[in-house]
Amino acid sequence: MKPTAKLKSNRSLLIILVALVLLMAALNPSRFFAVGNVISMAYQIPIIAFLSLGIMVSMLTGGINLAIISTTNFTGIITIFLLKAMAGTAATSDAPLLASSVALLGGLAAAVGIGALCGVLVAYLEIPAFLVTLGVGTLLNGVNIVITKGYTISGFPQFILDIGNGLVLGIPLPFILFIIVSIFLSFLLSRTVFGVSLYLVGSNPIAARFSNINIRSIYIRQYILSSVFAALTSFVMMGQLNSVKANYADSYLLVAILACFLGGVDPFGGFGKTGGMVIAIIILQLVSTGVNLLRLDPFLTQAMWGFIIIILLATNFVRARMRERRRLGDIKKENRAEEIAPASPRL
Amino acid sequence: MLKKLLHKNETYVFFLIIAIGVFINFNNPLFFTFENISGSLKSYSMVGIMAVGTLFVLILGGTDVSFTAIAQVVEYVVVWFTMAHGGNIYMAFLEAAVLGIFLGIINGLIIHYFKVPIIIVTIATFNIYFGLLYVITQGKLLNNIPVVFKDFGNVLLFAQTSKIGGTYGLSLMPLIWLAALLLGWFILRKTMAGRNIFAVGGNEVAAERIGIATLRTRLFVFGFVGFLAGIAAIVHVSIVQSVVPNIIVGKELEVIAAVVIGGASIFGGKGTILGTLLGVLLFAMLNNGLTLLRISSYWYSVTIGAIIIAAISVSAWQKLSKARNNVKVRIEE
Repeated sequence: MKPTAKLKSNRSLLIILVALVLLMAALNPSRFFAVGNVISMAYQIPIIAFLSLGIMVSMLTGGINLAIISTTNFTGIITIFLLKAMAGTAATSDAPLLASSVALLGGLAAAVGIGALCGVLVAYLEIPAFLVTLGVGTLLNGVNIVITKGYTISGFPQFILDIGNGLVLGIPLPFILFIIVSIFLSFLLSRTVFGVSLYLVGSNPIAARFSNINIRSIYIRQYILSSVFAALTSFVMMGQLNSVKANYADSYLLVAILACFLGGVDPFGGFGKTGGMVIAIIILQLVSTGVNLLRLDPFLTQAMWGFIIIILLATNFVRARMRERRRLGDIKKENRAEEIAPASPRL
Repeated sequence: MLKKLLHKNETYVFFLIIAIGVFINFNNPLFFTFENISGSLKSYSMVGIMAVGTLFVLILGGTDVSFTAIAQVVEYVVVWFTMAHGGNIYMAFLEAAVLGIFLGIINGLIIHYFKVPIIIVTIATFNIYFGLLYVITQGKLLNNIPVVFKDFGNVLLFAQTSKIGGTYGLSLMPLIWLAALLLGWFILRKTMAGRNIFAVGGNEVAAERIGIATLRTRLFVFGFVGFLAGIAAIVHVSIVQSVVPNIIVGKELEVIAAVVIGGASIFGGKGTILGTLLGVLLFAMLNNGLTLLRISSYWYSVTIGAIIIAAISVSAWQKLSKARNNVKVRIEE
């Protein structure tokens, strides 16, 4: 099935965003615009944002990274195990800056390894990404459970806690990280050979191969990049939760895929921009915050996210229909003017 | 004949099952007993029934993830309704089927008219169904479930007394699973509707041009998925005998993995009932085997993941070498 409702512009997204802000402003202006509320939103956005951007990267070639959640947890688990190994008998929460950085790098390396594994399987065995990452994700989730025995492990040093909780000039550090990473990703995707190749491979792999693009290398780098986002998610999560566990953020997988679709990423590959993703993520966060501020059931958030997608699909459908009708009208007018046999419109 | 068998996914999964079965039985002779096998089949009946629906959607060319949410809603609503208004088990099945079909058809309508990937729509409806269920029920458990479900779940055919005094026998649940498999097989192989599903999944444009009603086919598939999810929900509540509003959701990927291991293609147009049965049996056996081998259940996910990777790698390798051979033949000619 080809999606005719491709979200090429961010117009409907911006309309939804503005509508949501106005709705919040009407319902509860005093609390919605409070500084504390805005700051708490800024703390919550990065986790779901990094996960969604990671999935978006994998979707650009028509793939998907279902292993992203277990990669995230794996990164955290490797980090705390490295901290423990280096701390010896001392508490991991007192680990010095050097040890913390080494542990974080170790976690990042683990994520990169997983990404490379997925990429190699996709590139060389030509297995659909859905299956590769489903298998790797299940395996890795099992590994996470086995090595932590299902327990929550806590005790991170201040340096790592600051990544999740720090404030710089009154702005939460994870949010600054999110902005920097988004700008970097946007640059990477639209201004580098790698980024443009990704879109090309996504829209037409055969054409890409004949344009002298090394498709295999693109796939491998793509899944490594996707896993780096898992590592970033993990860094923020470790900081905010001060713990790791095999099944943290389990429920975020589907939400992150939703965010990608909302952000205009084509699940069949070739289309999707960082800008749309950022707006989509802010929309999802606004809904969540709004539901909280109005003291409604938090599960309503989940239902509302679903409704937003359906509404977006419906508006796109109606707009596509109207465009079609206008085009048909134009064709009829032309035909009447030139008095030739009506050309059959392509449907 | 033999060569044809060698190229089938089902053959590999079948021999894998035999090999693992022999290994488990060698280490713990309790494995190959009526008591153990009937118990293991019973606990995987729900997954097995839902897998048939997942197979249909995969053949249609997409991945449904909302069937667990449908089953969750159906389970809660039907049990609640039976508690409030009474009714027997047949009524419960009927209510479950109607509600399941209704929720499934909603999926089908959205997918058909908005022309968006199945996975996106079903993630959205998953969130809506499950989110609303939690909002409306406030996540309350239903413990005192009506006795009709308990009675139904406790029916045992060929009941026998075990050494330690308990009774065991064949539960009705695996029979319902078998019925679902047979129904699925019949629809896919013996009816026009089934042929249409393969046609639409293989090439939608071609199917439309030869006059297949794609809307009707889609609604049929998603209605059937909803129907099976509803039946699976009653089977589940009869086994576990309580309703926890988030116990079924989260199993989607496991069910999909089982069907995919059985050889269904995620690109549509390909998949068999036998493969689906074997995929679920493999999972059931691994789960059971770990317990019998006294290995911590933590390892379940690891073994499942390893088997998924191995299975897809083998079939991908076959496909690649086949493609290479084809090229060779052409050059020689």
